[in-house]
Amino acid sequence: MKFVLNKLSIGVVFLSALTVVSGVQASDTTGLTDTTIKVGVMGPFTGNASSYSKTQIGLMAYFKHINDQGGIHGRKFEIFPEDTACAPAKGIAAAKKLVHQDKVFYLHGNSCSAVAMAVKPTVSPTGIPWIIAHAVNPKISMPVNEKKSIYHGVPAGPAYGSTMGEFVMSKPGTKRIAMITHTNDWAKAYCSPAIEVIKAKGGQIIEEQTLERGQTDATAQVLKLKQAKPDFILGCLYEAETVIFLRDAKKYGLKSPVMGTAGTDLENTLERLGDKDAVKDYYVLHAFVDKVNGPKMKKWNDIILKYNPKETITGFSAVSMASGVAAVKALKAAGRNLTRSKFIAELDKIRGLKTGILACDITWTASDRHGCKKSAVAGFVDGNPTVLSAWGKAW
Amino acid sequence: MGGGRKVVCQAFTTGYIMEIFLQLTLSGLSQGAIFALIALSLTVVYRATTIVNFGHGDFVMAGAFFVYVLVIYAGLPYLLSSVLAILIMFVMGLGVSRGFIDPIKSGPHIGFAMMSISLGYVLRGGARFLWGREVFPMPRIFDMEPIFIGELVITGDVFFVSLIVAILLSVFFFIFYRTKIGIVIQAVYQSERGATLIGVNVRAFHQSMWGVGLAMGAMAGILIAPISLLHPDLGATFLIRGFAAMTLGGFGSLSGAVVGGLLLGFAEQIFGFYISSTLQDITAYLIILAVLIIRPAGLFGRTITVRV
Repeated sequence: MKFVLNKLSIGVVFLSALTVVSGVQASDTTGLTDTTIKVGVMGPFTGNASSYSKTQIGLMAYFKHINDQGGIHGRKFEIFPEDTACAPAKGIAAAKKLVHQDKVFYLHGNSCSAVAMAVKPTVSPTGIPWIIAHAVNPKISMPVNEKKSIYHGVPAGPAYGSTMGEFVMSKPGTKRIAMITHTNDWAKAYCSPAIEVIKAKGGQIIEEQTLERGQTDATAQVLKLKQAKPDFILGCLYEAETVIFLRDAKKYGLKSPVMGTAGTDLENTLERLGDKDAVKDYYVLHAFVDKVNGPKMKKWNDIILKYNPKETITGFSAVSMASGVAAVKALKAAGRNLTRSKFIAELDKIRGLKTGILACDITWTASDRHGCKKSAVAGFVDGNPTVLSAWGKAW
Repeated sequence: MGGGRKVVCQAFTTGYIMEIFLQLTLSGLSQGAIFALIALSLTVVYRATTIVNFGHGDFVMAGAFFVYVLVIYAGLPYLLSSVLAILIMFVMGLGVSRGFIDPIKSGPHIGFAMMSISLGYVLRGGARFLWGREVFPMPRIFDMEPIFIGELVITGDVFFVSLIVAILLSVFFFIFYRTKIGIVIQAVYQSERGATLIGVNVRAFHQSMWGVGLAMGAMAGILIAPISLLHPDLGATFLIRGFAAMTLGGFGSLSGAVVGGLLLGFAEQIFGFYISSTLQDITAYLIILAVLIIRPAGLFGRTITVRV
């Protein structure tokens, strides 16, 4: 009897071990078939932040382009788009569906930092590779998660914020900085690192004003800022409020230059204001190597338009394609016998990747997942949109 | 240092302080004029039917979107588009009353609130479905060279919005107090039973007031959209301001709604400049709290005493 029990125990242990091993192997290749790589693309396809979903539209167009080129080692991308509506609860539901129901190989995308942070506890423990292609909160990818599976493929808040600070302080004689911001984490992710850089370079914050989302008038804020006479203004505002602020700034004769975030872009701000004079002193973070419709961006814009002929190209459209280029490079390097572990290993080997899209090179290591460390700035020079590296200095 | 002293000197000049105050007042009254129009449109429906339209902000947004569609897609002039949009919203108001309010009249009063919220969200969802990924600029119809009186700036936005709202309110109050239609409306407001006895069709009256309320809300949307930007969530901001203006002026008071709206616009600017811009967004809520505690009937509302 004892002999039988011992044999049974050994058998159970053996079977358990086999199950664990096969389970690990299965999860490492989940989302792969002989001909497809399943990729989950989460984004705010509806809701009041849905203009950001242009980044996911661009990313998916790039995947389709790769498919039309023959795919990667005989496999083509099978795309699973999921709407988060920029709402954390909906984002969590979308992530669970992609992970447990659609069983994707990896996740790529995500605008809206709040959604990505809410989704992280669901995705991180699974070890599914996850490339953040738009959201800016640095905590999404750093410190490196326990499964070492999350990557940032765009400049995170500190990179963007420090670029804002560097640009503001690069204007000769700049000392007195004023701010107008929303009070949410998104605005802090930009403004806090910018303030650190400004203070480190001898600047001082002389006035702080708040303009909340949905407000339609900025008279009080503009008059306060005008009274403070700043050398430069940091504007950590979303698109609609940026337009309202710039409109009122012109109206009341506030002439200080304004530095905006990557939440806006130059051409769209001009289009929405319909007044070139109101944006002539507006500078904005610009992720790309060229103007949105510049010659260096044509190749990428053409890919987007090939698969989405009615799409309007904006400053958001090509942002996520850069991390798409990095992902494809890693997938190619991982070879035909692809696994999630091999994919992660190859992502960690990417160094100084010039995507031809973003102004920054992408570098990922096992201990640093913030792939992009800088951004360009765009502003009107002699009436023309120009990509700048510092005040008065073209990129 | 010299520059700093100059700033301080300028900041404390009486004339400069006065200019800032006047600028804030002008801007506040211009914004307040929009709030007044929204509060008045809410009050028109409330006085006639005792229903608070919690979806009103979205009807304001819908009016603006109708103009956008007519201008951009149909290529019609802005003024004609505005008139058509107002008519569409009037008809929509009749439809809302007939199709969604009348059938639940025998139910609990909370049903009206739920219905109006639901209608609002359906409109918002529809707009998001159709235009969700964009924030739209409306044609700039209030452009004119700013008028300078010293440092005081009067822009096209302030001038035209104030003027148009003043004309609309004058027409409204003229009709209400000086025409036969107005007398009928006042009669129904005072006693529905009495109005019925003298032959007024009260059901049709309720439907008309829904139409008028939505049409007036649309006017507010049409005026604000060219100044801000057009998007499906446009109305949410204005609904709470409409409620605050109603509360301040006194629930059910037509003139109170107008005065409440103007005071709210002014208060937002004063709070934002002299106290803190972080408080500007909650001014409406602070006013609701203060009025309900200090003077629940508002400035012009009647205190109803019930004898038991």
